[in-house]
Formats: sequence, structure tokens, C-alpha cells
Amino acid sequence: MTSPTTLIDQTLALCRAAHAAGLPVSQARAIDVFRALSVIDWSTPDDYRLALRTNLVASRTEEILFDRVFATHFGQQPAGYGGDHIMAHSELLHGTLDAGRANEAHRELLTEADTFGGEEVTRRANLAARWDPDAPPLAQVIRELARRLATRPSRRSQPARHGARIDLRRSMRRSVRHGLDLVELARIKPKTRKTRIVMLCDVSGSMDVFNSFLLQLMFGLQQALKASRTLVFSTQVSEVTQSLRRRSVDETLREMSDTVRHWSGGTDIGAALGTLNRGVLREGSSRSTVLIVISDGYDNGQPARIVQELAMAKRHIRSLVWINPMYGASTFTVRAAGMRAALPYVDYFLPAFNGRALHALVRGLARVG
Amino acid sequence: MTAPLAWQHPFARVEDVAAIFDARDYVADRPLCLTTKLAFDLGKPILLEGEAGVGKTEVAKVLASALDTPLIRLQCYEGLDASSALYEWNYARQILHIRLAEADAARRAELDTAIFGPEFLFERPLLQAIRHPGPRPAVLLIDEIDRADEEFEAFLLEILSDYQVTVPELGTFSAVQRPCVILTSNRTRELNDALKRRCLYLWIDYPSPDTEREIIMKRVPGMQRELAEGVTRVMQGLRAVDFYKRPGVAEALDWARALMGLEIGKIVPDVVLETAGVVLKYRDDIMRLSKLDLDALLQGRAIEA
Repeated sequence: MTSPTTLIDQTLALCRAAHAAGLPVSQARAIDVFRALSVIDWSTPDDYRLALRTNLVASRTEEILFDRVFATHFGQQPAGYGGDHIMAHSELLHGTLDAGRANEAHRELLTEADTFGGEEVTRRANLAARWDPDAPPLAQVIRELARRLATRPSRRSQPARHGARIDLRRSMRRSVRHGLDLVELARIKPKTRKTRIVMLCDVSGSMDVFNSFLLQLMFGLQQALKASRTLVFSTQVSEVTQSLRRRSVDETLREMSDTVRHWSGGTDIGAALGTLNRGVLREGSSRSTVLIVISDGYDNGQPARIVQELAMAKRHIRSLVWINPMYGASTFTVRAAGMRAALPYVDYFLPAFNGRALHALVRGLARVG
Repeated sequence: MTAPLAWQHPFARVEDVAAIFDARDYVADRPLCLTTKLAFDLGKPILLEGEAGVGKTEVAKVLASALDTPLIRLQCYEGLDASSALYEWNYARQILHIRLAEADAARRAELDTAIFGPEFLFERPLLQAIRHPGPRPAVLLIDEIDRADEEFEAFLLEILSDYQVTVPELGTFSAVQRPCVILTSNRTRELNDALKRRCLYLWIDYPSPDTEREIIMKRVPGMQRELAEGVTRVMQGLRAVDFYKRPGVAEALDWARALMGLEIGKIVPDVVLETAGVVLKYRDDIMRLSKLDLDALLQGRAIEA
């Protein structure tokens, strides 16, 4: 970095490298970088890096990623490089996901379900079939579900032309324009209260058969309720809200398979709830939050931990909905230790293992208050 | 848009920024200083993210004090809307004015224009920042933007790109001098990409032990070096524990002040337990603390299974 020409080439090369690593480097941002370079002393390597970084990144993760790109570019061994960061798109929807199943306690149940008699299998196969965003019944059910979750009348009111009540304050204000004569009355109706949904979805090995059902549920709900948050967990927790906001399902799947590296792992429900308790659930008003856990309750962690974290979580939410895809299967009893531990804290325990059951789920959720 | 007044910010070099932070007892690392300088050079807002209590808000306060300009603060919350962020008409005063005018025939004629005059306008933070007369820019702190609704973010985006506001009855106000804007977020949710794109981004982490000791020494007058070291050691140890709410620098300072106030010269396990409420704010966390190996914590050894 001695002459301006090499500096420009250098910077452009870095921008390209950052772009290749997945940072959203646009033309506008690259221009900002050069504007920044004109006002700093770029011969100081650290300032050079910082000036580029502050312009090119938009989150903590991207900051770390950029530092790696920078270090690699200058031939240093980047700190803490795991080697597995950039991986080919995982086989999210296509078979071969049994790495995690081995440590799941209920393999026999899954096998049993797989070889179950004719009709049962077909129905479930339909559900677990390939992603089909246009399939009307399920999409409709999800929309309906979203509507019921998010509409709750508030005690506050909002202006409405044909509202039931008269808004005196606003009517007075309007009268100012007519020399304080009440010419037109302003009306109000009750506001719709926003419910914040936090969805915690089990993507461990035991839930594999429900994978596409889960994806549809997550995608549908996130699209319908923009303010909700979706997290997936197995042994770790990742937030997938941003990925689910993508317009196309393909993009969502690609991004999710890139960011979530623990599909089909083991299960640690307690730890996942702990992460929620330390982050997402602590924010916002607790009276307007509904936590939805989608899990079969088969857990490798400590049931005591689940109890402890659920007790904490309950103080931050209005109600807890537990959707168990296993519930309703003919062989089902609450065998999972994790599920048994959680049950006392669950407000609404709902079956959702097929389309028909999801209808029941929607009816159930209409009562969530 | 009117051209900004010629005002040369006083930060020719990164060291100048460091100096003003230092003069105001704020321990700032190089990335923060550089980002601040760039914010002034490029006229961009700074987006500061980090855990609660690492000194994000303080950055704005220091800058306002250094530039000797008002700090205009907009605290975000769920349901924050344009009228409480931008402007509102003073209805009560308008009505009063009308009543007075009715008694006076001469004033009745001008009533219409009069009641929508600037003196009937409540300026809220965003309009205040834009109408700040200069020559030095106001510091606009938009605190905890992640608490506001996404609609508000979109609205903010519009303000931050043009720095002008239109009040239908009065006309358009353009910023005489673009305010220095600092947004903070506790990262409870991701912000809109478009908003992020307009900002310089910086993540503020918990400080290293040395930095934290320096902060405590600077911020708590009369602090003994030994005690500051003890506080730092405990804080760093506590942050490694998986509490519901990890203590930030703010808690470290509170605790240091509490120990000074209690005239405690040496930290022993009982002291930690008695004053735990200064540092930890959840009952579960305090219960957990009492079960930890406090001797190890005080000596700076790794704790927690």
C-alpha cells in the first residue's frame, strides 16, 4: 500500500473478496469506502482495515467475517478460523439426514411410524412431501392461524370513520378549523393489539420426518406476522427470522441451510429455552408475547433445566403454546422425559402432525388470550 | 436542500477524537475513534450495537459535550410514532388563542394564519435536531432503536436520508447543519437492511480487563488501584457465567462506587454476596452466584462447571 494506484486496486480486490465471502458489498458501499479512505491515514494498516470494515458490515457476524477476509487477503492465518465456515448447501430437504437420529431415544417409534398400515402412511407422506408453497389448504390454515394469533382488541383506540365511539378530543381539535363549532364528529374504534410471536422450532434428528411441515409452518407464520421471531434449535440455537423474510422459498432455504449448521443434531430444549430467556424474550412487553415451541419433547439434556428455564420464560410471556408433531399418533403416550417435565408449564398443548390436526390447532389457538 | 454551512469539524486526525474522549473520561478504543471521525467526514450516522451497559449512550453524551452543542435524545419504545418523534400542534394553546381572538375583532382576521404559526408547534426531538441553528451540529441520539416498531424505522430512514421535514401548514424545514446522529441498539432484533446501509456500523464489546480497570479508575474518583483491579477481576469472572443478565460496565461502575461508599478496602466473598444486588438484577442469578466458588472468582481463576 504505497502508491494511490495500488491502494485502489488493493481496496477493490478486498471489496471483491468481501463480496465473494457473502458480505453485501454494493457499489454505493464501495464508493463510501473510497470516500472514507480520502479522509484517513490509510498507511496505518489498522485504520485502513477499520475504515473498510465500518462501511462494509452491518452486524457483529459480518464484522468477524470481514476481519477474516482481510486477514486472509494479506496472507495471515485468520484467528479462530474453523475451516468449516463455508460449506456447500446442506441437504436440508433431501434424505440422508440421519446423523442425529442415532442419539435420539425414540428411534423405534419413528421406525414404527414409517412402517405403519396403509392409510396412515399416505396421509403423513402427503404432509411430509416436498415443499409446495401453493398448496391451498395448508397455506390457508396458516393464514387463518396467523390472523387469530395477531388480532386481539386493545383497550386503546384508533381513529376510524365509522367507529362506534366518538373521539371528543379529536372532534374538538377539528372544530378549531370551523371556529370552534362542532361540524364533524371524529370517531374511534378499538385498536388491534399486536401480539408478538416467538417461535422456537425443534430441528433435531427426531423431528426430521416433519421437516417440510415445520418449514411451511415457520415460513407461513413469519410471512403473515412480520413482527414475529423464529428460532430453530437442536443442540444450538439459531435465529432464522431474517432468512424467513426472503420473498422466495428457494432463497430462504438456501440461506437457512447456509446459516443453520445443526439440523438433525441432538436436542437440548433446556439450553435453547435458556438462550431465549437471555435474549429474545427479555425484550418487548411480556403481556403481548406468545411463545410457540414446536418439538416432540425428546431431549438429551436435563429435564431439571427445562423446568428451570420454562419457569423463567413464563415470567416473560403471556402464554406458552406447545405444538407436538408426535401427539395424536396412535402409539403416542407422553414418553419423552423432556415433554413430561415441560407439561405443567404449557398453556396450550396442541396436536399438529397432519393437515387435519392443524385445523384443530387453529381452533385451539383462537382461544389463546 | 440548502448547502450545509461551512463548519469544519475539529477532528483532523483520529488522535484528535481520542483526545476528546480521553478528556471526558471515556476510554475509547481505536475503532470507535476512527468510526467517529468518519461519521463527521462522511456525514453518516453511526450505528452502535452491543450488550446493555457497555457505554453506547455515553458516546453521544461525550460528543455533545465535546462539541458544546445540545444533546437531543429520542428514546425509542414500542409504539413510538411520528407525532411524538417529530412534531405536534399545541391544541390547548390554539383553542385559547381562538377564544382570545373572538373577543377582539381586529385579531379575528389574522386568526387563520396565526394559529398555525411556529409558536404553536411542539418540536419533538427529530424536528429539534433538524432545526438546530448551528453553526455546530446538534448531536442526535436515537437510543435503543431496536425497541421501536419497524414502521418507525422506515420513517426514520426517510428523515436520515434527506434531513428535512415537511409540516403541511408551515412548509419544509431543511437542516441548516446536519446533526451528528448516533443510533444505538441492544440487538434484540435485526434492524432493517436499508437503515443499516446508511450507517457506519460498530460493535462495542465488553472491555478487556485492562480497559475496564482504566474505566473504573477514571470514572470513580478516589478509587484505589488495588480495589479497581479486584472489581475488574470479579466482573470478568462473572461475565463468563451464564447469567440471565450479564453485568455490563455500568454495573461495574455502580459496584465500584458502592464499595467506595461502604468504605470497603478489600473484596471478600461475603462482600460480594451482600452487594450482589448492585451487579445482578435477577433473583435466579443471585441464587446462582451464592452457589459459585467465590474464592476462585476473587482470585481470577476460572469458575463454573
